[in-house]
Amino acid sequence: MPPLSSPASSGPKTSYHEFYADDFSPRDHYRLLWDHIRATGNNALETKDHESQLALQTEGVTFTVYGESEEGIERIWPFDLIPRIITAAEWVRIESGLKQRVKALNLFLEDLYGEQKIIKDGVIPPELIYQGKDFRREIVGIVPPRGIYTHISGIDIIRDEQGDFLILEDNLRTPSGVSYMIENRVIERRILPEFFNKYRVRRVEHYPSLLLDALRCLSPRGKGTAEIVLLTPGIYNSAYFEHTFLAKEMGIELAEGRDMVVVNDIVYLKTTKGLKRVDVIYRRIDDDYLDPLIFRSDSSLGIAGVINAWRAGNVAIVNAPGSGIADDKAVYPYVPDIIRYYLGQQPILKNVPTYQMTNVTDREYVFDNMERMVVKAVSESGGYGMLMGPSSTAASRKEFMDLVTENPRNYIAQPVVYLSRHICYMDGELEARHLDLRPFVIYGEDIQVVPGGLTRVALRKGSLVVNSSQGGGSKDTWVLAE
Amino acid sequence: MRYLIQHETILTYPNPVREHHLELRLTPRQDANQRLISHRIELEPSAERHSYRDYFGNAVDYFCLIAPQDSLTTRLTAEVETLQANPFDFVALEHPQQKEWYAKELRQTPALYDYLLHRSSLTPAVMKLAAAVSCALPRHEPERPILESLVELMAWVPQILRYESGSTAVHNDLLEALKQGGGVCQDFAHLFISVVRSWQLPCRYVMGYMDSGIYPEGEPIATHAWAEVLIPGGGWIGFDPVHNLLANDRYIPVAVGRDSYDAAPQRGSFKGDTAGTLPQVNLTISNQ
Repeated sequence: MPPLSSPASSGPKTSYHEFYADDFSPRDHYRLLWDHIRATGNNALETKDHESQLALQTEGVTFTVYGESEEGIERIWPFDLIPRIITAAEWVRIESGLKQRVKALNLFLEDLYGEQKIIKDGVIPPELIYQGKDFRREIVGIVPPRGIYTHISGIDIIRDEQGDFLILEDNLRTPSGVSYMIENRVIERRILPEFFNKYRVRRVEHYPSLLLDALRCLSPRGKGTAEIVLLTPGIYNSAYFEHTFLAKEMGIELAEGRDMVVVNDIVYLKTTKGLKRVDVIYRRIDDDYLDPLIFRSDSSLGIAGVINAWRAGNVAIVNAPGSGIADDKAVYPYVPDIIRYYLGQQPILKNVPTYQMTNVTDREYVFDNMERMVVKAVSESGGYGMLMGPSSTAASRKEFMDLVTENPRNYIAQPVVYLSRHICYMDGELEARHLDLRPFVIYGEDIQVVPGGLTRVALRKGSLVVNSSQGGGSKDTWVLAE
Repeated sequence: MRYLIQHETILTYPNPVREHHLELRLTPRQDANQRLISHRIELEPSAERHSYRDYFGNAVDYFCLIAPQDSLTTRLTAEVETLQANPFDFVALEHPQQKEWYAKELRQTPALYDYLLHRSSLTPAVMKLAAAVSCALPRHEPERPILESLVELMAWVPQILRYESGSTAVHNDLLEALKQGGGVCQDFAHLFISVVRSWQLPCRYVMGYMDSGIYPEGEPIATHAWAEVLIPGGGWIGFDPVHNLLANDRYIPVAVGRDSYDAAPQRGSFKGDTAGTLPQVNLTISNQ
């Protein structure tokens, strides 16, 4: 691949402003909101901001940050009260693009773990798959019900300098954040009911019932007899809040691996009244830890024998084991080809241009332009294992170049995209901050995109890193009805 | 040749273990070179047997024992007939056709890439290997007949590794074995495999049995390990670097994989403490 953009053409860029048009007047769909803010004044915003912080605290909406201590630190979820608004027309495009993408990625997974036509036809290089850490050869030949692997996807979308929506990352393993999407809405409705009177905002609160319905459909004993368990790695996991939240909202059991046992290919939950058969496992642990008999033998988080029970068709696992190869960041550049290959359609939403570190020309170009690049480890998420070129030091760039040289398959690089901005209420002032969007897609009877998502905000001025683990915040996301 | 294999493994635990899940890869493989006449797998205490064929084509039997147990015995009885009297009995393709042949095989069966690309601490990359071996690694020039290079490599392995007779220590790391200059059959096979893969030839690990006559006097009879290389015109041909022999009808392949981990005869997961447990193995391979 030739260099995606020459250094000369990539001069200073201005990110797209979600709120203001080029003449600094609010965009049409923000005008009502803006008028209201101006009419009520800054004092009202301050009171509302204070109320929202209190509400988050009383509700106990938290997340956990690792790195500072072994066990992680629990923090109150950072929330900005100014909503992000997406028009009905914009949403049509996002929704159709996501449905197309999720459909193609599931066909891709079914093929990879089956006939591998896409490799035989020369569309995907075999090395990419066979050297991928998340290609699970142990499950080749097992076909999950209706060929669905990613029942839940959380796909990260950004807006480039022109305002075009681009796909940044596909999260197909155990995507998190949906509980915060709902909590943000609950808080926003409570503290700013007058905002909601001015707009027709589509609902997101029904996500748990959509998911529950999709999970029920997977029960090998039929929808009417679906015993569903949310499998959590435990209280030290960064998303434990979400695990308890979803289990409670759906009315399903929350359990750890040690609470379950497999007997002759049937999974049971150990209860005070004896063993209870489990039909569907909504797992929030990685493949590596899922079954010590098949994957990592030192895992104490999983359920020994669960893969064999799955192979026998006696339990459904959500998302299906092996899904991770489809969101491997080195596979990501091929997703447009994957869409064309399986659906015969052009991708509705584009990718961010991506350099393959296994390609020598690409690699040399990236090394020469490290300050303008984001370098990412292919199977990491949450902003871990990543170098942000513009804010990097010479030492960290050197460190990443060594890492890439040592294991090129493990890294990709992308030119920095200046994410779109939005006004945020920061310590009494309205300031612009960069943000992205993670909508959630449920693949049950059909593919549904919940109208909304988690808008993540880089709270530090000028920062482009939105991950909550790296100091990101959030906003309620309004998708407008027609 | 006809063989009767009786293979018993007894595990005795100092403290009872429970929720024991067990996968066995003990069924001798069936193909054009080997016929399985009969086979039986028993467990003590007894448990319901389930089976599947794994990704590498191995027959897997699995069991679970939920209640606490203080010992576990697995017992295989199998009768096989091996048919490959002369492993040299094929005409290898010449150099120019070889390349095309490999390209076609790999295109039709992408799974073969595993036997080409897999690197682990058991089968390390050639750079790490070269650094750990004091002499130059054997090379294979594409013009040269593959079999010649492989036979030479097979003889080279025992010059690098000393066979540790009767040793039960299994290295989890080939470089560690190379550092010590000695190892068991697994290490020999892994070293052979690592070099063959660096030549860009598909190579896999084989776990199996062999005619008890091949074992030196006084050597305990145990499962054996060797390597198979995919050769144009010949298919999978077995190489045993421990004995410097091509695998013929005195070899009884059981399971294959990228390395010894994939082809382990027994894999388990349980709750409880088994520190200090050493399996007692009773194996007889009788020529009938």
